[in-house]
Amino acid sequence: MKEQSSLGSTLVKKLTGNLAATIVVGTTLVLAVVIGVEGGPSQVINSIVTGGMWALLAVGLALVFGVMNVPHFAHGESFMVGAYVAYFVFNPIHTSLKENPNTFLGVTAPFLAMLAAAVAGLILGVILERLLFYPLRLKTKSGWVMNAFLLTVGISFILTNGTTLTLGPNFRGIPRYWDVPPLQVGSVRVAVDRIIAFFIAIISIVALWFFLRQTRTGRAIRAVSQDELGAQMMGINLNFIYPLTFALATAMAALSGASLLFMFQAYPTVGLKPLYFAWYVVMLAGLGNVVGAIVGGFIVAVLQSATQLFTFTVTVLGHEFQIGGIAWEDVIPTFVMIIVLLVVPSGIFGSEVKGVQEQ
Amino acid sequence: MLQLKNLDASYGFLQILWDVSLHIADGEFVGLIGPNGAGKTTTLRTIAGLLKPMKGEVLFKGHKMNTVPAHETTRMGISYISEDLNLFVDMSVRENLLMGAYIVRDQQKQLETLDFVYELFPRLKEREGQLAGTMSGGERKMLAIARGMMSNPLLLLVDEPSLGLAPHLVTDVFKSLRRLQETGVTLMLVEQRVNATLEITDRAYVMEQGRIVMEGPSSELMTNEHVKAAYLGI
Repeated sequence: MKEQSSLGSTLVKKLTGNLAATIVVGTTLVLAVVIGVEGGPSQVINSIVTGGMWALLAVGLALVFGVMNVPHFAHGESFMVGAYVAYFVFNPIHTSLKENPNTFLGVTAPFLAMLAAAVAGLILGVILERLLFYPLRLKTKSGWVMNAFLLTVGISFILTNGTTLTLGPNFRGIPRYWDVPPLQVGSVRVAVDRIIAFFIAIISIVALWFFLRQTRTGRAIRAVSQDELGAQMMGINLNFIYPLTFALATAMAALSGASLLFMFQAYPTVGLKPLYFAWYVVMLAGLGNVVGAIVGGFIVAVLQSATQLFTFTVTVLGHEFQIGGIAWEDVIPTFVMIIVLLVVPSGIFGSEVKGVQEQ
Repeated sequence: MLQLKNLDASYGFLQILWDVSLHIADGEFVGLIGPNGAGKTTTLRTIAGLLKPMKGEVLFKGHKMNTVPAHETTRMGISYISEDLNLFVDMSVRENLLMGAYIVRDQQKQLETLDFVYELFPRLKEREGQLAGTMSGGERKMLAIARGMMSNPLLLLVDEPSLGLAPHLVTDVFKSLRRLQETGVTLMLVEQRVNATLEITDRAYVMEQGRIVMEGPSSELMTNEHVKAAYLGI
């Protein structure tokens, strides 16, 4: 595929002559191999699946920041909305299928649920942009980034608490989307849900890449992210590009929420963790950098797996501390992120963050 | 083609333009000269819709343009080539040019215009695949001008094309503007190189401290005592 190869060549371009990126990516690859040897191939496949999802989420963040200069802290709530929509679409179908089995519907119902989530994300994105960011843009003379940041935090609070109020704090989940036995990949068995979730992430990212590179509207989005004034001078209507970008990002987050429903379930604060990981990714890769976000997604996922897999015990002043394990999942990526920010402040793929200085 | 009537414009509380009136006829090549900070760029920005006037009127082909946003003015046929160029630095030369033709939906037409600007600036064709951000100052300038032409504008506003260019490139750029006028485009040129500007334009306005202080055919302005003393250093 043409767009696939151009994605690859852009990656190679970003890596050559970039010491920080080479070190981080190289270390990650080594780590992935070690994980494979120590924890078995299933651990590696796990990292790849989660990596795909973090990438999908992070691409949305990178897009929103790059184009609109919005540090989006309500991205997790888009994930949450997607999870709920998928649950409420899938669950009734699933229940009725128990009484009158229908293979076709059994196979397609999950996709239907994900599609519904993505569409809900698109709509939510347009509404949020028009209702909140648009008026804010008209009012803001300076300090846009800070104002937009606070607005997204507000959106996050309202959506989380609004959901608790209306739907309650209960977990709503499904054990799996497809009632089929796990697939045999080499020597490992992988749940079909995971494989499909991974492919959904990859297909969405490639589709987005293709859209941004090859279509007129996609190029306009990139133009706005590179020079807003120049884009206006070319006849690009920002009041079309902003809602579109925000809707796309929201839809991608909702889609990941939907396709990971079997892993995360749906509850009001489900978006918190995906949000954090997506932010680790974009900070690592550089804000507003879409290609970097893809690589970053896999790096963070590998770090996460490694943290879960390896544990050390350290004795300090007679107390024993355990380092590693699932509770440390946030610690190690954050630690790596701090190191990266200290050494290469604009992220390892070093896209200079023009927007912030301009505003 | 274009008429400004008693235009006042400001950035916040700082008023820059005071009662500016000027007009450009179809097919004309008009210069706007004056010292730094006279309000020349502000005039162009107001025409391009990037700045809303406080008072007065901007009329383009009979339409009142005061509240028309920048992207609409481009669609109506005004192309503005800014001093900062506003190139898309992470896009190739070709992609930048095609962005310039964003409002042209006919692909055939886009490619025709592309051929035309490549003929005008052969250097750009050589650099077709290069990222705009990695080009030299002169090449960027050419790219910005070429990109401004890609929308097939009726009126082209060019802001300080000679700034930071090597002298032989300035001649090239001015020649290409002249050629553009021959194809029927109306042009407005803002420049500090008064001599060269008066040589290629039909008519010119002199702007000082936000006001139009003088106007007339370029050949007459060249012999005008005030212009000679203040700008030509003769």
